[in-house]
Amino acid sequence: MAPPTPSSHRPRKKRKFPINPGSNNNLIFDNGDGKQSPTFPLVSFLWAARAGVSQWLILPLILMAVGLFRWAVGFQVPPMHGDFEAQRHWMEITQHLPMAKWYLYDLQYWGLDYPPLTAYHSWLFGKIGTAIEPAWFALDKSRGFEDPNLKVYMRATVVVSEYLVYVPAIVNFLRRYTRMQGVHAWSASIALVAVLLQPATILIDHGHFQYNTVMLGLVVASLDAILAGRMLWACIFFVGALGFKQMALYYAPVMFAYLLGVCVFPRIHIPRLINIALITAAAFALLFAPLLVGATGPEARESIASSPQPPLLQALPISLDKKSVAYAVIFQLTQTIHRVLPFARGIFEDKVANAWCAIHTFYKLNRFETSLLQRASLGATLGSIIIPCAITFRHPRASLILPAMSCVSWGFFLFSFQVHEKSVLLPLLPMTLSLAGDGGLNKENRAWVGLANILGSWTMYPLLKREELSVPYAVMTLLWAYLIGLPPLSFETYRSRSSLDDPNSQFELNVFTKLLHFAFYSAMIGWHVLEAFVEPLPGKPDLWVVLNALVGAGGFGIIYLWCMWKLITQCRRIDLQAAEEESRKKQ
Amino acid sequence: MAELYPSLAQCAIVAGALKVLLFPAYKSTDFEVHRNWLAITNSLPIQEWYYNKTSEWTLDYPPFFAAFEWLMSQAAAYIDPAMLVVKNLEYDSWQTVYFQRATVIFTELVLVFALSRFVKSVPLANKQAAHVASLSILLSPGLFIIDHIHFQYNGFMYGIMVLSIVLARKQSTLLYSGITFAALLCFKHIYLYLSLAWFVYLLRAYCLDPKNVLRPRLGNIIKLGVCVVGIFAIAFGPFVQWGQIFQLKDRLFPFSRGLCHAYWAPNIWAMYSFTDRALIPRKYLFSERGLKVLLISFIVAPRLGLPVNREALTSVTRGLVGDTSFAILPEVTKEHTFLLTFVFQLVPLVKLWFRPDWDTFVGAVTLCGYASFLFGWHVHEKAVLLIIIPFSLIALKDRRYFSAFRPLAVAGHVSLFPLLFTAAEFPLKTVYTIFWLVLFLFVFDRVAPVPERPRIFVFDRLSLLYLTISIPLIIYCSLGHYLIFGWERLQFLPLMFMSSYSALGLVGSWIGFMVVYFTA
Repeated sequence: MAPPTPSSHRPRKKRKFPINPGSNNNLIFDNGDGKQSPTFPLVSFLWAARAGVSQWLILPLILMAVGLFRWAVGFQVPPMHGDFEAQRHWMEITQHLPMAKWYLYDLQYWGLDYPPLTAYHSWLFGKIGTAIEPAWFALDKSRGFEDPNLKVYMRATVVVSEYLVYVPAIVNFLRRYTRMQGVHAWSASIALVAVLLQPATILIDHGHFQYNTVMLGLVVASLDAILAGRMLWACIFFVGALGFKQMALYYAPVMFAYLLGVCVFPRIHIPRLINIALITAAAFALLFAPLLVGATGPEARESIASSPQPPLLQALPISLDKKSVAYAVIFQLTQTIHRVLPFARGIFEDKVANAWCAIHTFYKLNRFETSLLQRASLGATLGSIIIPCAITFRHPRASLILPAMSCVSWGFFLFSFQVHEKSVLLPLLPMTLSLAGDGGLNKENRAWVGLANILGSWTMYPLLKREELSVPYAVMTLLWAYLIGLPPLSFETYRSRSSLDDPNSQFELNVFTKLLHFAFYSAMIGWHVLEAFVEPLPGKPDLWVVLNALVGAGGFGIIYLWCMWKLITQCRRIDLQAAEEESRKKQ
Repeated sequence: MAELYPSLAQCAIVAGALKVLLFPAYKSTDFEVHRNWLAITNSLPIQEWYYNKTSEWTLDYPPFFAAFEWLMSQAAAYIDPAMLVVKNLEYDSWQTVYFQRATVIFTELVLVFALSRFVKSVPLANKQAAHVASLSILLSPGLFIIDHIHFQYNGFMYGIMVLSIVLARKQSTLLYSGITFAALLCFKHIYLYLSLAWFVYLLRAYCLDPKNVLRPRLGNIIKLGVCVVGIFAIAFGPFVQWGQIFQLKDRLFPFSRGLCHAYWAPNIWAMYSFTDRALIPRKYLFSERGLKVLLISFIVAPRLGLPVNREALTSVTRGLVGDTSFAILPEVTKEHTFLLTFVFQLVPLVKLWFRPDWDTFVGAVTLCGYASFLFGWHVHEKAVLLIIIPFSLIALKDRRYFSAFRPLAVAGHVSLFPLLFTAAEFPLKTVYTIFWLVLFLFVFDRVAPVPERPRIFVFDRLSLLYLTISIPLIIYCSLGHYLIFGWERLQFLPLMFMSSYSALGLVGSWIGFMVVYFTA
């Protein structure tokens, strides 16, 4: 028989989708008598869509529903102090002051301490707001301005920014990611709702008031570009994220390792490396350009010359004429960096559920010098992220980037310098996104991602309580736990009821994991009871807050280790598959 | 097997979460009304309940509702006793708000229960449709806007009504249906509008022999009579005893109000008044000042309790605040409205008399709701639920019913928008209503079976056209208008469009449903 001639005809690729839309994800429970039932409430809300309903219908409905919850969270007592006033104040100063003064003006009163993109963002919404009502952002006079309409406007800017950046990025990313992983569109919709209702993000952005989702959205857009293989866009989006909030640095090592990795493996690709470097530099230049150009005018130079020098500039071994353009530009750059990066502060602020705060509880760390602590924290952080970064560098695969990002950002959260409790949003994002992956909604992943999210919003409770956000905290966290089928409202995830021939039986949780998770859930519930009804010991008013941070740090540490283990096993599985294919080719 | 996911309970939980988040949202004067009633019933002897005038929001619901307030006030005493002081007008500590809002959510469980009974009562083949209809009622934007933001207890009341309708399904529970409805009337007398349907149905199906109209079933008549009279005796007996019954009558039926409510409910009289306004010489109507006066008289003043300069009004709007009077068209009196309402209720009841089955009964209830909403005296826009909720129960019978329901669903809910006029609630009401409309109109469309009789082509097209218009209209009224004219000028224009649009839809769906009802 003649060998088959190569022809233009190729058999149509078999669709990778499993026949049963929930087969790999523990979504449908077979009652055995031909009846099927959803395994957790979120599945039943999308039950009617499992036969395949147009995304044109499902997507708007999901976006409207999660939008309602976002808006409703903002109905609590207006936070007329703290971040709300800070953001309003930035809209005010970017409106009325020349760019040269943005990072200099009255720094004692909520001075701008985010990178330039935040400043531009404030400027834009300040302009729009001023067009509606000039009193909201009048220079100096509007400080502490209390007007219900202003609150509505500010809340609306958060929602608008989120729906313009975060939501499209998440939707696109999930679509590409699920397609890549061969996950059914129905599963993807379920994961989308779970991601968009993530309690911690909603509570911080719409309750406490911040624009984290813009930064997170730019990071997700960058991930989406990576999945699509558009490395240059990934760089641009990531620089955008960094330029919006310096917190995106938590992800930077993975991005760096990945981008470097794709230039080295499987073979060295120098032009690509140069391209990436150039585009990143250009993006940063573009980001700072308006600020720096704004500093070159004669008036701007005048005011800069008379301002105190930022420490970074003092450290520079060059001396320039104070009236020169170069001095103004360098001053502006160093002043911005000085404002953005908090080197001058302590190792942690308040009580954060990370390693330093936990150690400090038992062994006071303020006996050491700041520089020593800085070095220790740098070393510990590097130690905690070296493995995931190495793996990402050696195996620059899109499917490994989410677990690697979770690991690295947990490492940063646990060990780095100057961590804020709100920074927990960063490790939670890639972890929660993993719900959309292959088997992402199976019991094991759901249980761990769920624990991380609930623990995450629980560690923010002291902050939320201070701002009278206890009700939204309870509602949003419990709602999410209910929808995903997690304690304290449901034990479905932890109940094993599969038979041996069930392909999902490998995802049943083992006894040790169950006990561990139950310990954490009972600790959280017990803590709430204590905090509500028992006065802390005399002389230790912060007792409950410290206890919260300790339990949180322990939990996050364990979750970090789990992420690491997940990353390593996934990487080995990919290695094995590659080796198998290799040997098959040789035969 | 029909799949009934998500279940009623699951939807109630998620909707409940949203409602709890909205505790601090805008609340209308109805909140203070109910707080005042809590205070009156808690701290005064029953004899004084209907006489107390400390607040302008006097008790004007029937005795069962007063008793219900008394019951809640027992729990309220543990939450914040200060809300139970009659003199504490406008008292709204956060405990009070949370307590009262929570009672609305909690009592809505009656509706959840009634709807689950409704789904159970339906034969297997129609279970899915019934389940979808129940979800649409439970998540109704009407209840969401009126109960959980504006503040009222409609979920509870309509729960009792749905229960009574469900009980009317089986011959064996007809008696209980009558009892429940009598009790409902003693809670809130607005349901008198629908009572003729119950009367005719119970008389025909329960009191008379189904086969022979001339053979009364004495046993049934006595049972029903004793029970209904008993219920009314429990409710009103004590007040008759104390000689207060005329005071109750004056409180319950304050006939001193005008033809149209502050904001025109989208009914015949709104169209009538609109036509009248349109006939007024143009230079008055379209002058800026005239419009502003119109705006103040209709929308702003009654809501904010502003004093209205009558003299300034009379020249242009001819005293619309109190008694409605018309410039060109003939005057409408209470007697006219009653006669029209009665006549248009009677028409469907004739059919019910000759075909006393459950579907016709629910149809008749719906048409009684239509007649009283469209022709009634001083109708409030909230009363549109009197039509929507019974109609929802049969809207999925087949596609002909559904196509009559569609314009009602759009118009009825859109007409509730002016109830909430604060900026923060604006996205809530619009997004929630659009969400509901998109979801349920789509699902209904899938679930509704093909009718046995051919549909009326023209009617379907008109209904589709009507639906399509709603999209630009909502965009215009919510955003476009302010971009074109700014926030200050011609504020009433979007409201007038909404009102006229809604009135058109309601009348259209009424005519459509009449046709379906009589040809079924």
